[in-house]
Amino acid sequence: MDRRRFLLASAVAVAGLAVLPAIKPAYATPALEKLEKELQQRLGVQLGQIKEVADIKLTAPTIAESGANVPITVESTIPIEKVEQLWVFVDKNPTPWITDVKFTPMNGQVYFSTRIKMGETSNVRAILKLKDGSYVMATKEVKVTAGGCG
Amino acid sequence: MAISRRQFISYSTLALSSLTLPLEGFARRPVSFERLMDFKPYGNVTLVFTSDLHGHLKPLYFAEPMNLLAPEALRGTPGYLTGADFLKFYKIKPGSVDAYLGSCVSFIKLAQLYGMTGGAPQLSTVIKTTVRERGRDRCLLLDGGDTWATSGIALKTEGMAIVEWLNYMDYDYIVAHWDVTVGKEKFLDIVKNRLKAKMISYNITEEPFGELVFPPYDVVERGGVKIGIIGSSFPYTPLANPRKFTEGWSFGVKPEELQNHVRELREKHKVDLVVLLSHDGLPLDIALIKMVKGIDIVISGHTHDITPVPVRVGETLIVSPGSHGKFVGVMDLDVRKGKLQGYRFKLIPVLSEVVPEDKKAKELVKRWYAPYEKEFNTVVGKARTLLYKRDTLYSTWDRLIGEALADQLHGVDAVFGLDVATSPGYRWGTTVLPGQDITVEHVYDVLGITYPEVFVMKRKGRDLLALWEDVADNVFNPNPLYQQGGDMSRIYGVEYELKVNAKQGERIRNVRIKGKPLELDKEYTVAVYGGPPPPGVEPLKKNIRDIVIEYIKKKKDIEVERKPNVKVLDHPYNTDCYWR
Repeated sequence: MDRRRFLLASAVAVAGLAVLPAIKPAYATPALEKLEKELQQRLGVQLGQIKEVADIKLTAPTIAESGANVPITVESTIPIEKVEQLWVFVDKNPTPWITDVKFTPMNGQVYFSTRIKMGETSNVRAILKLKDGSYVMATKEVKVTAGGCG
Repeated sequence: MAISRRQFISYSTLALSSLTLPLEGFARRPVSFERLMDFKPYGNVTLVFTSDLHGHLKPLYFAEPMNLLAPEALRGTPGYLTGADFLKFYKIKPGSVDAYLGSCVSFIKLAQLYGMTGGAPQLSTVIKTTVRERGRDRCLLLDGGDTWATSGIALKTEGMAIVEWLNYMDYDYIVAHWDVTVGKEKFLDIVKNRLKAKMISYNITEEPFGELVFPPYDVVERGGVKIGIIGSSFPYTPLANPRKFTEGWSFGVKPEELQNHVRELREKHKVDLVVLLSHDGLPLDIALIKMVKGIDIVISGHTHDITPVPVRVGETLIVSPGSHGKFVGVMDLDVRKGKLQGYRFKLIPVLSEVVPEDKKAKELVKRWYAPYEKEFNTVVGKARTLLYKRDTLYSTWDRLIGEALADQLHGVDAVFGLDVATSPGYRWGTTVLPGQDITVEHVYDVLGITYPEVFVMKRKGRDLLALWEDVADNVFNPNPLYQQGGDMSRIYGVEYELKVNAKQGERIRNVRIKGKPLELDKEYTVAVYGGPPPPGVEPLKKNIRDIVIEYIKKKKDIEVERKPNVKVLDHPYNTDCYWR
């Protein structure tokens, strides 16, 4: 088992999340309100203060095969020495906070892979806090659907 | 064969007088097999391919859609061209063979003139002739999936009748979608033990660690050219079909991994040519190729698109050979100095009455059909309206299925009367002309699924609306990467307005159920089939095929409402193309 797989396996074990029944209409949720509250509470910043950057790569399916089990991977080329912590949020989950991970130089690089639950179509956000106190982020929309026709 | 061709010609002469189209060219020079095949070999490598046969070994009618509604950004582009727009875009003469096979315009008249399309004996002749002219060692035979499922004979033989034909034809590579619905075990048995062609797929992996289930690509030599061929199966199979068929497997669109395979083929294997055999669908492949470089040719299945000329995206040529055996795609390539220097491309029309039958293929079909001929040929009624399946929103087949469900459930118990019946927007099926007998096989060809159970349940208005909005977003999302493919669910008992370009959750408006405005909190009785089974609901005793056959038998003369139940607010919506 290589390091990546070990990380992934352990992450699967760690991330336990809220459950929500299948499809909910997208318009039923007040946009971003809950997320802003969580960001304020956990990070002490607003969404507008977090810069979207290209050197964080967030890999997730565009359409999830199952909302109950969405694989995501966060990677970054930002040197590990400059990184303090990672948060993952799903805007429209009942609890947007998914997990947070502290990095040390012993990690070698920013790489985190896990599976998350999503109640409905939403943005997924990977936010890094850097040692200089700034926040940077990658966002990807993942569609959760009841499926359709062939 | 000479006899049936003569028959065809006299038949067509008779039919000509009733046509209003300019068909003089055709009348003077009736179509001959030689003319259909007229395509001089070129270059040193040839791709010969089919896709989306949907289990059809015998000729059939298959009408192309009247509408392929597109979000504004994609309107008028390949993948969304129908009818007169299709003819204009590809400069095809109305009334010609290509017009008959590729567009809805005057379908009923042209079907009477040109007859059925496809059929394994006819496909065999076209493929064998093409290969013989070029030499087997120069040809690569490919099939884009949706091959051994969704028809009567596919269902009865668990796909094996079609698999044997594929083996007889000596296909080289294949990818999959509906093919998995024979059951995961059977599917694996076919691709590992029964099928001579190699199943390749870069996007089917084991959960949770992502090991590849099939080889992602292969390297093969033809005509002295080293070819790297990558396979892509339908990325949303686990969503489009019940999960049990792909339990433990993950699919998906993976541009980075695809790019890595291309790089590996180019750098490690030093191939001269990279081909992607895909069941992604044309719009998705066009979007994908904007992100992935280094693929020379994409053979694109799933959406049943017909591309008389390749779609060019950067340096890549994307082609799609239609469905139901209407065409054999032939792409002659000149590959020298490790590079594609030139190409010639033709979709060879398979007119069943013009193309001579291959004797061995005919025997093969006859042998597999023998035990079922009697059942399949049983006449259950007569079509008085054209029965077609494909369209983004509505079809007469689906309307008939909805009527049958409503009739069935009203008959059982008036209290349990049905409010809504939904029918999936599958792209496959068969077309029955007005005046033609409807047989049991026709019903199989429209409903040939391995999970034909019907479920009746109560659902609140708001849940129904959310579900339909969800399906609408899978069809109309402006980004093809977020489209799941397929047409809109057909909803019997319901009328609504559709705004294609509205935001998700706002496309469906003014919904009326049985003539009354939808109430969000009211519970409605809904019948569904053909999707993932709803948890905790027992299926009815009769399956969807039984119900439809019973209804047709009861009514005998099948006249179906042609007027769609949907009003489209921001896109033209054609409703008379076939009848022109």
